[in-house]
Amino acid sequence: MNFVNFTWMILLPLAGAPLIYLLGRIGILRWPGTLGPGLARWVCAAILLAAGVVFVQSALTFNQTSIQTFTLGAVNLRLDGLALLISGLALVLGFLVAIFSGPYLAGEDDQEKYYALLALLVGSISGLACAADLFNLWVWFEAMALSTYVLVAFYEARPESLEAGVKYLVQSAVGSALVVFAIAAVFAATGVLDLERIHTVARSSPLLLGAGALFMVGFGVKAALVPLHTWLPDAHSQAPSGISALLSGVVIEAGLIAMLRALGALMGVSLIWGPLLLVFGAANMLFGNLMALRQNQVKRLLAYSSLAHVGYMLLGLGVSMTFGLANGAEGAFFHLLNHGLMKALAFLSAGALLYALYIAHDEHRPLTVEDLAGAARRYPLPTFALSVAVLGLGGLPPLAGFMSKWQIFVAGFQTHDIRIYALVIFAALNSLLSLGYYAPIVNRMYRHKASPRVLEGDPLPAIMAIPLVLLALAVIVLGILPNLATWLTAPAAGSLLAVLGGGG
Amino acid sequence: MAVVLTLMTIALPWVGALAVWLIGDARSRLQSALAVAFSAAAGLVSLALIPYATGGYEFSVFDAGEAFGRFTFAPDGLGVYLAVIATIIGCLAVVFSLDYMKGEHQLGRYYAFVLFFVGAMAGLVLASNLFLVFLFWEITALCSYALISFHNDDPKAVAGGIKALIITGLGGIGLLVGALLAYSYLGTFNISLFLQNAGQMPAGALATVAFGFLAAAAAKSAQFPFQTWLPDAMEAPTPVSALIHAATMVNAGVYLLARFYPAFAAVPAWRITVISIGVITALMAASMAVVSNDLKRVLAYSTVSQLGYMVYAIGAGGIFASQFHLLNHSAFKALLFLGAGAVIHATGTRDLRLMGGLGRAMPVTRAVFIIGSLALVGIPVLNGFWSKELVLEAGFLGGPLWAYLLAILTAGLTALYTYRCLYLVFYGPSHGKIPPHDAGYAMRAALYPLAIAALVTWLLAGPFSRMLAASLPFHEVDLLPTWEMAVEVLSAPQTFLALAVIALGLAAWRWRERLSPVANAFHGLAQAASNSYGFEWLNRQVVTLTQEAGEALRSTQTGQLNWNVVAIAGALVLVLAIVILGSVL
Repeated sequence: MNFVNFTWMILLPLAGAPLIYLLGRIGILRWPGTLGPGLARWVCAAILLAAGVVFVQSALTFNQTSIQTFTLGAVNLRLDGLALLISGLALVLGFLVAIFSGPYLAGEDDQEKYYALLALLVGSISGLACAADLFNLWVWFEAMALSTYVLVAFYEARPESLEAGVKYLVQSAVGSALVVFAIAAVFAATGVLDLERIHTVARSSPLLLGAGALFMVGFGVKAALVPLHTWLPDAHSQAPSGISALLSGVVIEAGLIAMLRALGALMGVSLIWGPLLLVFGAANMLFGNLMALRQNQVKRLLAYSSLAHVGYMLLGLGVSMTFGLANGAEGAFFHLLNHGLMKALAFLSAGALLYALYIAHDEHRPLTVEDLAGAARRYPLPTFALSVAVLGLGGLPPLAGFMSKWQIFVAGFQTHDIRIYALVIFAALNSLLSLGYYAPIVNRMYRHKASPRVLEGDPLPAIMAIPLVLLALAVIVLGILPNLATWLTAPAAGSLLAVLGGGG
Repeated sequence: MAVVLTLMTIALPWVGALAVWLIGDARSRLQSALAVAFSAAAGLVSLALIPYATGGYEFSVFDAGEAFGRFTFAPDGLGVYLAVIATIIGCLAVVFSLDYMKGEHQLGRYYAFVLFFVGAMAGLVLASNLFLVFLFWEITALCSYALISFHNDDPKAVAGGIKALIITGLGGIGLLVGALLAYSYLGTFNISLFLQNAGQMPAGALATVAFGFLAAAAAKSAQFPFQTWLPDAMEAPTPVSALIHAATMVNAGVYLLARFYPAFAAVPAWRITVISIGVITALMAASMAVVSNDLKRVLAYSTVSQLGYMVYAIGAGGIFASQFHLLNHSAFKALLFLGAGAVIHATGTRDLRLMGGLGRAMPVTRAVFIIGSLALVGIPVLNGFWSKELVLEAGFLGGPLWAYLLAILTAGLTALYTYRCLYLVFYGPSHGKIPPHDAGYAMRAALYPLAIAALVTWLLAGPFSRMLAASLPFHEVDLLPTWEMAVEVLSAPQTFLALAVIALGLAAWRWRERLSPVANAFHGLAQAASNSYGFEWLNRQVVTLTQEAGEALRSTQTGQLNWNVVAIAGALVLVLAIVILGSVL
């Protein structure tokens, strides 16, 4: 029996956002110094924690056969397995980022807006995941996008930051416009917007084929499909590190989920969606890895690597959509979870080092790979955390990335299709290639001879260590006991396959 | 009881790795004491496992779900003896490191990775689940990379580590493909079930698994065409070279071939490919050892060459011969590497041209090095003699004649480079600094047991064959008591042929001045050998091409918003086209 409806998971952060802003503003006006922003930060963290409690309760009472729903006017929400996965990830990462950002943003203006927007971002991601019809999907998607536009351009005094924000805004808006066209086309062709009902009535027609293509490209901008990804390197590297972690960890995945929801509804229209995802997946993997190989700015390198990891997820999802295999979807969602954790860990550790080496000295320059030399001597924890994150992303055991990639590859071979075998081998080769840029980072950090920046760096505040330790533990534990995540990934796969099973 | 012992063989070194790391580098004496204690404990536990290696026993730790299988372990003869080698030589390497690595920085990281590796190696050979085998395979690759590039400030070490990681990873894809293919057809990851039902797979799929596993084994054991990573791996600290690149990790490939031989023996062209790879590698590596001037590289090429012998034996069906040679080789090659470590530590160089005459200052080291060399060359009554002759005999009976002749030629070359190496280090005039003292006590504590091992492990032939025959239901291993083995080897005409060729090899070095016109005739070949027959060039080309591809793609990130939006529009057009085509066709 629920004592609290799952919708509180969405409502708390959403309603909390203006509250955080108000309290923060009052705090800054009445008490000078760090108390004002601190108030905003802790209220934000408390709200996200409360939403987390609701999430835990919803997860414990989750039943695959009787999905909880909520309808209020035009708001239509369903908590299925996929929604559970994404909301959970967003809440966990949001909470850790809120804690991390305290010292990171110390001294900056507009912090209360940052925390308010952070809560808004997490709430809108949960809303997007629970959306039960196309209109809801689009509204929550836009809410999420709006909060990220401002957060990317947070350092508004710096031209590079603004440039990244503007490019992201324009390209994302183009994508959203395409999505609106698609929704209009679907409504024109079927007369309904509810995802499940579209799925039952949609049959092949030029309008719906066009809608599917528009959905794929429109949501694909946000999901960073190649060649729609060009906003990503700038946005992920210019944003504050906590926001980079959320962008790579949940926001692009949310875009991917929105695409899956929309295309899932159109499964009766064409069988081409799955193979198209496979093509994009191959492009993402190769492009992301080759571009990351040439980067020497750490955050840009991690941004490009996110492209590659979206590629692995697309491989699993494409296999699932084309061949109906559970392992494909389960592996892809497991990789979504793991990538969220590992990439957040990577960005937060890089952020911690960026803070200690640059921000604490009031310098705003990008962290380069050369700066990392010898970091292990003075900053053992962020170094270890970054090594765990990066080697996990490269797919080395006993870390989480190895497990999820394996599951995706299992699905690939269960297809008994030689083209998919080739694609899996291609993915494995890409994984190996990625070690070519991850491993040198680790080696550099454990050098004995430290870079000048490391020697002059400030000490790291203790509170920044908490998210690093928690995420590193999660990555290691999931790498040893992969079935600890099955309670999340299996229902998510189930909800995707339910859509696929009835289609085409 | 077997369950506890098996799991402890894997878990003890891992707990030790964690303990060593958490203790911290500040408490270095406690740290090294813990490292020795845990590695010794693991060795004892694995020895205690031997009586339980009666075969047919398998247990499962937990069920990790459909995609990962049940985590099962099977302590049979093949697995247990390799676990014993890994833990015992691991312990000796740690003891040796007490002297060798004294005063180095970040030793916690060193000991932790060595212990982590030992546990992973034990896990690899004791696991009975294909996913677990791949998991441990990749963990050993991680540890090998971390230990080769231990001296992160040395770019050669870092490059060597990454090269080893990538090349063995490349082969690992073969193992990945094979395991997945087997699972997709047989529905299980269990190795015993695979060996039982391999025939039910479609012929093409089984052949892919067979050659995929062969690629993985070739990469891990540095066989042709994947041999380039092992010489560069010599940048690792020498105890690591002794443990990982002589006695354990490189054996993993040979283990893989031996373990799965019953399933693949019937695959067309598989056995002849294995034989060819083995014998070509053996000859090629031996030729590169003859011209190398780096002490550790000579030993590295020698390892590759001896592994080639083992692979050759497996291809010819001589499972016992190959494993017996693996056992003996681990002992004498670890001995040679640790002896070389003592020399390198004392002289500060790896270059043979800067050594010479060290025997006077380092008599103990010279003595053990001589024992190791005699075993490597294959002189009776050392352990290498017996197993090498068994390998050659198996090759003669089970393989083509051309392979046998090349193998014999390699034996001669082995004698040549070994004598050359021994001479250049310990005899003749001195070209470099004279070390003030011989190997330290910790070093000797590691060297003496290995020297004794090189003299006596061949006596284990009987019990070893019994253990293998009893515990491997799918392999055909004949019982071969030690006395019978000795008689068989001593009475076979192939033995005398081999000894004659070996004598020629030794004589070739002894009379090198008189034979110098002959040596000059081979000058072109020697040049090619020292350039590793073009494989290094090939490696560099692949790396350069990849870097250039990445560089070329950078132009797509124009930085101009207009072009970015054009890309979105272009993608839309492309997707629409594909969708329309898809619906029309």
